[in-house]
Amino acid sequence: MNPLLICTGLTMRFGGLTALDNLYLEAREGEVLGLVGPNGSGKTTLFNVLTGIYRPSAGKITFAGENITSGTPQEIHRRGIARTFQRSRLCLDLSVFDNIMIGNHTALRLDFFHNILRRRAFCRDYELWRDKAAEMLRALNPSLVSRMFRPVGDLSMIDRRRVENSRALVRRPRHPRLHDPSAGMTHDETRQLMDEITASRMGGDRLTVILIEHEMEVIRRSTSHCVVLNFGRKLCEGDYAGVVADPRVQEAYLGKELE
Amino acid sequence: MSRAAAIFSGPLGCILPAFLLLAWSGFFLTAEDQTSILLSLLSLAGFLLAAVRLGWVNILREAIAVQERLWDACLITIMLALMILFREDHYNLFLLGTIMAYATAVLGLNVQLGYAGVLNFSCASFFGVGGYTAALLLSGTDLPPLLALPLGGAVAALTGCVLLLPVLRTSGHYAALVTMAFALLFRVFLDVSEWFGGPQGIPVAPLTIAGLDFSQGILWGDAEFSFYLKYDLLLLLVLCLAYSITRRLERSWIGLALDAVRSDEVASACFGIHIRRWKITAFTLGNFLSGLAGALYAMMLAYISPANFTFADSLLFLSILLLGGIGNIQGVLVATVLVVIVPEKFQVIQEYRYLIYSALVLLMIVFRPVGLLPRKPRAYTGSPA
Amino acid sequence: MDLLLQYCLNGLMLGMMYALVAVGFTLFFGVLDVIVFSHGDTVMIGSFAGLATYWWLHSTYPGLPAGWAVLLVLLAAAATVALLGIIVADAMIVPLRKGPALNTLLATMMLGTVLRESIRLFFPDGSNPQTFPALLPGWSWRGGNLILRFDNLVLFCGGALIIFLVHMIINRTRLGMAIRAVAQDEEAARIMGVNFRFVVLATFALGSAVAAFAGVMNGMYYSEINFSVGLLLGAIGFSAAVIGGLGNIYGAILGGFIFAFLQTIGAVAIPFASAYKDVFAFGAVILIMAWRPTGLIAEPSSQRV
Repeated sequence: MNPLLICTGLTMRFGGLTALDNLYLEAREGEVLGLVGPNGSGKTTLFNVLTGIYRPSAGKITFAGENITSGTPQEIHRRGIARTFQRSRLCLDLSVFDNIMIGNHTALRLDFFHNILRRRAFCRDYELWRDKAAEMLRALNPSLVSRMFRPVGDLSMIDRRRVENSRALVRRPRHPRLHDPSAGMTHDETRQLMDEITASRMGGDRLTVILIEHEMEVIRRSTSHCVVLNFGRKLCEGDYAGVVADPRVQEAYLGKELE
Repeated sequence: MSRAAAIFSGPLGCILPAFLLLAWSGFFLTAEDQTSILLSLLSLAGFLLAAVRLGWVNILREAIAVQERLWDACLITIMLALMILFREDHYNLFLLGTIMAYATAVLGLNVQLGYAGVLNFSCASFFGVGGYTAALLLSGTDLPPLLALPLGGAVAALTGCVLLLPVLRTSGHYAALVTMAFALLFRVFLDVSEWFGGPQGIPVAPLTIAGLDFSQGILWGDAEFSFYLKYDLLLLLVLCLAYSITRRLERSWIGLALDAVRSDEVASACFGIHIRRWKITAFTLGNFLSGLAGALYAMMLAYISPANFTFADSLLFLSILLLGGIGNIQGVLVATVLVVIVPEKFQVIQEYRYLIYSALVLLMIVFRPVGLLPRKPRAYTGSPA
Repeated sequence: MDLLLQYCLNGLMLGMMYALVAVGFTLFFGVLDVIVFSHGDTVMIGSFAGLATYWWLHSTYPGLPAGWAVLLVLLAAAATVALLGIIVADAMIVPLRKGPALNTLLATMMLGTVLRESIRLFFPDGSNPQTFPALLPGWSWRGGNLILRFDNLVLFCGGALIIFLVHMIINRTRLGMAIRAVAQDEEAARIMGVNFRFVVLATFALGSAVAAFAGVMNGMYYSEINFSVGLLLGAIGFSAAVIGGLGNIYGAILGGFIFAFLQTIGAVAIPFASAYKDVFAFGAVILIMAWRPTGLIAEPSSQRV
């Protein structure tokens, strides 16, 4: 399998703090890459650098053979990279449908002529997308379809996560990144959600996913390959069993045993 | 659903409230002595309170949502009926005109603040730019006077472009300062500038369209109707246009993009939404609407001075928006009517009106920050799905 | 040359006044992350409270020495305004901070109007400018065209002393430590046992007392006070605090002097149109914001994603 995404020598400094330190990382096409590491190890920073929110201090990011190192978030999204956020950044006062359509923004017609003057054409356009969104939601939780025009703020945590995942997936990106999909949910809910994500990967094209997750169980069930970060550097990588058994990983999480 | 509710979800649900509204406003505007004004205000307040308590407001809102065209027609009919009723009454026609001009300007502010979240503490300044543009164009050039309207809007939008860079780069309180500084600067500038007539202001020539002079009354048989009637009709047209544009804007992908920019810039950027593009769009469109309204308002006033366009007026526009419920254009209409009419009619409080008015807005912000009619989630095709 | 020096002296006086106002803005922003726009009107209330105190002193104790009068006027103004600040903070600003920041800004603007109108309507003859008494001896030193007034010197030094005191309170006392703790991280400060409400109210009392001094200083400098100065003073204080970078006391002081400097430049450099000095100053503020969007002394921006 070819690497779809390659980071070389990626470094991100905030003042005196080095959040990413000369990191090399690759994600192969079609795999689910688990990103683990203790708090402050640079996982979130990596996401933000990859999606163009931060500009890296040094290093290079290639996606599908093209250099995307200093792209804006908009340019990077256009190449097919979508993400979710650690603290789900949904627009809580907007409806479920609105939130999903925000993820669909680049597919929408945005000229004044279409939106303001040709209302009939717009309504047809709208109905098309409404049905598509309803179909997506029905696969996740049928009761969401009837609540499609309710504010997201009214939903439960797991439904919000579902909406957020739909928002990231609606454009059928080649490379979604999921950030802590389990935050704020119970074990059972997490398992359910991950099954849904796995199911959505089975349908049609196989997406390349980078997953940050604190629940090791989720990592074990969902990922084919893991990378462990610590202090902005790659501690080790491999499959789940190998990574968990690695003494360096245990040390990073639990601390060094007293001699 | 009870039988009464079933009846009022039909056309009657729009027509009856509209009729009541017309009857009340007709009575209120003709009332001369302070007791009957007070009584009618109290009865309105009591009626509204009862309506909220008994759920009539929700029935009305649903009836409106289902039969939007009918309700629009009702509102326009109310305005026309009031104009016909007061055809010889300068004062009331002027009040109606003021309401419509202010409502148009606040609709512009709503696009900026309510949708895109771009702070603007200088709405009255852009309103004034439109007014002064109209004044200078009508007196200094031979352009067709009707052109002064769109040009007033365009000049306001262009003036806004001067502020674009700082407005785009700053956020929060820093952005508030930029527009606030502009509002103060604009007022001082008008005050000291000879060219714009200084503190005394300048006269605005009346509008003429195809030989029709807007400063002359309308002769109808023996009666002569007030010249304000013409301005009111034109203002009604402009308001309907502005209202329809903002409503369509809200119910479109553009409205969605603006809302996304307001609620989370970082997340929006990650889904390919160009923050600057939409902020510029909203800011410019809003200023255009304010300037357009200002140009027409200036013509109706026939004389404008810097005192018409102060920072306090910008605050007034902002509080109308807040009072009505940010982002809800129906709320804008309701709040404009209340804010313009009540102090004007209530001569007892004339001296204390700024005090009472600001205290009321203050209480409103503390106890009901969402405004009178909070905005509902977007329904793209009008009726809720 | 003398004229230029005179302008500079006047500019320094103005700068000190603006700095005192801006310090309040930035203090409140520090602890609560809000802009209290009515602060300019607080200054105005301070000068009216001082005037009322003077009237009372003058009618009850006609022979009071000037030094005592100044002190009592200052104390009374500071106490009144500090009390006002505490009430405003407790009744309005703390409850409002759960909502959007714009609401607080608007609410305090409305509060400013309420204060302004109250003075206009309820202070005796409040709608007209009031003569503020010259409490300090009117000695002056003349050199050529340059006039150095003794009372201005005292006011300037007094202002500097107040700023120094604020600096000491913030940096050297337990209260100051608590204020800085709350400003940095409210949650953490609460957990560590800081009495949040007390700190907020104390900050408002402190900022308002400083404003009272600015108000009395304003009255003594112009020998006239007017109910309507609050709006412009508020806008200037806000500008100064923002130019310096909100939350930074030294930035606010710097911002105050910068604003006065801009006004002075506007008055000197465009001689044919010194009336444009405020246009120039506010225009410069807009330019500064375009250049440094978070003020000259910017806090490091941190946004969690």
